[in-house]
Amino acid sequence: MLTDVVRMTTRRRMLQATGAMVGAVTLSGCGLFDDDPEPAPEPDALQPVLDEAVALAAAYDRVALLQPAMAETLSTLAGNHRQHATELARVIGTTVPSAAPSASAATGGDDTVAGLKKAEQSGQRTAVAACKAAPAERAMLVGSIAAGRATHIEALR
Amino acid sequence: MKDELAGALAAEEAAIWAYGLIGVHLPNQGEQNRARAAEDAHRVLRDDLVEQVAALKASTSPTPAGYELPFPVEDRAGALKLAIHIEDGVAQAWRVVLPVTEGTARTDALAAMTASAVRATRWRRIAAVTPLALAFPGRPEA
Repeated sequence: MLTDVVRMTTRRRMLQATGAMVGAVTLSGCGLFDDDPEPAPEPDALQPVLDEAVALAAAYDRVALLQPAMAETLSTLAGNHRQHATELARVIGTTVPSAAPSASAATGGDDTVAGLKKAEQSGQRTAVAACKAAPAERAMLVGSIAAGRATHIEALR
Repeated sequence: MKDELAGALAAEEAAIWAYGLIGVHLPNQGEQNRARAAEDAHRVLRDDLVEQVAALKASTSPTPAGYELPFPVEDRAGALKLAIHIEDGVAQAWRVVLPVTEGTARTDALAAMTASAVRATRWRRIAAVTPLALAFPGRPEA
């Protein structure tokens, strides 16, 4: 009898303990998603400028394949965007993202010289706004990128 | 900020002076018109800068008696080369204004820098100079 009681008690305790553990696991499981999230890092203010640089470079590559006569100019301008991306990534402290997901976003699917010009105009606006909002130490880099995008429109004339 | 604005003013003065010479050596009417339009744009910026620098009570350096050309300018090719050189220089002078200004003043400086960079690319296109566009306009070449 006594041993049975002890056994039952032990068993109940074990069940309680297991229940508590399950609860703990469940709670911490929830915590991963809602209660105790790692605060998502604020995206850097220059991230959109970087994403555009990558998308623009990819767009130039695509148009260069379709317009062999302009391939040299287009590849120079693509190279400028890649240099922008490299420097922006360095300043942000990240890596240059892959062009794949947003590749067609730059021209909105309009892979023509006219489409590139529109994409540069939109990119210039982004960079001008980013330059205005930037801390002093970033103003020259972002300013050069904004001006660079404007010169690309002139180079495509 | 005074020093940077004074630098931009000096660059604009040099541009106005240079375009007088550039125009003389451009045989084509269309190119002359472009040079005149560029000179006018630099005059507007110069006048604006004179007021800003005066408001800051910065001592304006006296206009130099003469400028030295970076290379001889005797024909269309030389004139176009000078136009590219001068616009690149103006863009450089405005770029250093960016970190010492904020808000609208910075946007204005960026607009002036961009206008010069775009004109430099236009002159490169007219002169068939490659690359047409610098990667980082306004950044002094290393």
